[in-house]
Formats: sequence, structure tokens, C-alpha cells
Amino acid sequence: MFKLSRRAALIALTALASLASAAAAGAEPPTPGPNSWAAHGAAPLKSVETITIDAPPEIVWAVVSDFAHYDWLPGVARVEASGGETPEKAKRRLVMADGGVVEETLVRWDAERMTLAWHRDHDDVRRLPAINYMTHVTVKPAGEGKSLAEWKGRFYRGHPFNDPPPGLDDDTALAAVTALHKANLTALKARVEGR
Amino acid sequence: MPLRIKITLRLIMGRRRARQLDVFAAFLAALVSIPAQADEAFVTSQGADSLDVIDVTTMTPLARLPIGGKPAGIAVSRDGSRAYVTSPEGKFLTVVDAKAHKVDRRISIGAGPLGVAVSPDGGRVYVADLYGRRLVEIDPEKGGTRSVGVGAMASGVAVTPDGKTIIVADRDDNAVSIIDAASFTRVGTLPVGRHPFGVTIDPKGARAYTANVESDDVSVIDIAARKVVATLKTESRPYTAALASGRIFVANQHADSVSVFDAATFAPVGTVKVGEYPEGIAASPDGEWVYVANWFSNELWSIDAKTLKVEGKAETGDGPRAFGAFIRKTD
Repeated sequence: MFKLSRRAALIALTALASLASAAAAGAEPPTPGPNSWAAHGAAPLKSVETITIDAPPEIVWAVVSDFAHYDWLPGVARVEASGGETPEKAKRRLVMADGGVVEETLVRWDAERMTLAWHRDHDDVRRLPAINYMTHVTVKPAGEGKSLAEWKGRFYRGHPFNDPPPGLDDDTALAAVTALHKANLTALKARVEGR
Repeated sequence: MPLRIKITLRLIMGRRRARQLDVFAAFLAALVSIPAQADEAFVTSQGADSLDVIDVTTMTPLARLPIGGKPAGIAVSRDGSRAYVTSPEGKFLTVVDAKAHKVDRRISIGAGPLGVAVSPDGGRVYVADLYGRRLVEIDPEKGGTRSVGVGAMASGVAVTPDGKTIIVADRDDNAVSIIDAASFTRVGTLPVGRHPFGVTIDPKGARAYTANVESDDVSVIDIAARKVVATLKTESRPYTAALASGRIFVANQHADSVSVFDAATFAPVGTVKVGEYPEGIAASPDGEWVYVANWFSNELWSIDAKTLKVEGKAETGDGPRAFGAFIRKTD
């Protein structure tokens, strides 16, 4: 786990460094604002990560289905939530340890298929160099009382038009989201397995 | 099955065996008749930077052509000879020999070519420029181009069957532009739902349909009257619509579903569960089938337009979008 987090941190650092160079080159990253689903490029990206968890799917689903209590996510200090588990009504504010806030809306919650999805209400490429970020978490049986947890996302690079500056390009977005998914899965595994 | 073969079989095998063989013969006949209707799907796989050609009768891949520039939009000419592919990041249009399954050449467009449509006679190609607030007309044979200004983030394009009118979805204007094809001028705009993406025109040229991504509905436009005559509620994030068997089929990207409506009464007929993040959707020329590209799960699915049953699946390259008229009639 320690190894993974370090790699995630390294990727995040690389992303930040390239972001800084982009700013230095005079390419201002888009300012954070309401996610209108409008300003984005023409080529969406995807990232799918999985982890095997030593617990039956019902146990894992009990954790991931609880949209209001994701305080186990890396970097999250506490969660303020409302709207229960009703898609489009359920919202949460992840109050980050660094003082920042990430606001999200639940868009799918399906106990039968053990899958839920949400999107970020605001883009902030300083925090995550990807925009229009939509996340799905799904739990599947993996045999012998184990589960496979899948964390996947659809998003666009940080630059909403063609010819992205360094730091707001496809590779940066993909690396950052993949690192985030890996770190989240590692945290989920630790949470469920009680480590 | 030709009668002659049946008779020959009877002579050789005797009546009883021949009766069993009749069943086999009927099966063979079904197989033999397939190639005559073997339509093909031309699916842009944006992540894979390629164009997949799929035999939709058997749902088997026939070819994968490298395109580059993150291909998204597709339009097959009515005579089936050409396919035109837009690459919004490569800023070019690729001309494909649709019969030979070969890339012919690239035409530079600039900015961000996305939606594409071909005039019914094949003589003009219309490309919506996402970032350039314009529709570009291209003569694919002589290479000449014209441009006309449209709205913000021009996305889907469709042409009426008489070739006289072009409709463009001006996504961020929540409107469509109506273009007179002959003079290539913008003769009107019409407000529709929020963020129209795909535009589809019926075979009579009477109505146009826009799938409105943000308002989760479809605007039905009376083209002659330039009026929205109905708004159909879909599931989450409708991308584009297809028309088949008197019905309207709408791919809902966030609901992993296709909403189906009666085209005459606008009554909801049903919902079909499909793969993940369905985007491009198109009908077979005979109206019996609907094909939908599932962006996240990398598949093309076929749906029986009458029973609404999913009948076939084919694997595609990464990130199939198939945004446009992607079905080619082969005969």
C-alpha cells in the first residue's frame, strides 16, 4: 500500500510540476467554476482500475454504497452530505485535509448491480488536471469470499480546447485520474479489510 | 434455396431423408440470402484512433483503418461509395473508399471538425467546426470549400433528403442553425432544448430531431414551419437519435439505455438496456435494425427495431463514438 501511495504521490507531483510550467509559459489553466458539462475538448478519456478485496461483495458494497460517508478517501478530513442515496438529489462536500472542498452529486445508485456513480460539480484543474469528471464504483464477486472493486472514470483533459499546454494535456489527465483511482481503491481495501 | 437443388436431393436421398434435408436446405437458404443485406457499420473509435468496419448482419469485424487525430464524426454517402470521418484534434477530414475499406486521403479543415453529413447526391460534404463557429462545405472531388457562420460549439449536422436544407446543432447556443444549401447561407435559427448534440432528419425531410444532452430530452422540429412541435423526455444525457420502423431511438449516455418513442404519436414505447455510455446510434436502411456504439464498453450492439431485443454484439476499438450516419448499405 505504502508503495502504491508513493507512486501516486509521485505522479501527482509530476502533474503539479508540469502545471506550474504551463502557468509559467503564460497558459492560464481554466479557473474553477460550475461544471456546466460544456467547456471540454472533443475526445473524452477513460481510466479503469481494479483491486481484489478479501471480503464478500456485500461487505464491500456496504462501504462504497454509503455515499455520505466517504471520509476514508485519501486526503479527506470530513464529509458533509445531504439527499441520502437518491440520484441527482444526493450531494456531498468532501472537506479536504488541505482545506479545499470537492463537491459531488450522485447520479446512479444501484444496489442490485452493486454500482454507483457521481460527478464533480466544479472543475478545478489545480486539484485534478481533468474536467467533466464522472466516476463509477462497482463491486463484483471474485470467488472464495473475495470481491473485485472497480473504480473507473470518464473525463476530459484540463484544457477545454485543442492544442493543450503541458500540464493540461491528455497524458497528464490520464496519469492523475489513474493515480487517484489507485489510491482510492487502496484506501477502500484498507477500510474493508480493517488494516 | 433453388428448387433444382431440392429436386436433385430428393432423387439422391429418397423422400424421407430429403424432408430432413429440407430443413437443412432452408437453413442454408437463410445463410445464402444474408450477403445481399449485409450492411456495414463504420465506427469511429476515438481512443484507438481508428475506424472499424463491421458486418452488422453477422456482427463480425471486417477491417480496422488507422485514421489519427481522435476520430469522432462519420458520414457514409448515400450510394455507399464514400465514408467521411472527422478528426477534431487532427483538424482534418478523412475520405474513405467505403467499398474497398481503404483510406483515400485527408482534407485539412482547421479548428475542430466534429459533425459531418453528405449531400444526397454525394457532391458536397458538410462539416461542423466545434471551435470555429462555422459550417464548412467541401467539394470532395474538386476540393473547393465554402464556410458559413453558425452558433457556438457546432456539433451534429444533417441534410434533408432533397439536399436543400442543412440543420446544425449549435450546442452551446441551445439552438439549431438552418442553412440554405444552394446559397450556403444561414437562413434561420431555432431554440431547442439545452445543449443539442446530434441532429437526425426523417426520410421524408419533414422533421428533424435534436438530442439535448443537458435537458434530457429530444426536440422534434417541423422543418418547413421552422417550429418545435414536440419535446420528448428521455433518460440521462441523450446523445443522438435514429429513426426505424416508425419509431425514434435515442441513446442515453449516462443511463446506459436507448429510449424508444412512436414517431407518429410521440408516445414512449419502451427502454432498451445497452452497453456502457451509448453514443452513436443509427438504423439499417430497411428500418429493421438499430445499431448503437457503447463508448465505455467498446462494443457495437444491434437491436431489433420491432421487438426491441438486443440481438448481437461486436467488439470495437477503444472509445467508439460513431457520431453520424455510420451505416453503409452494401448492395
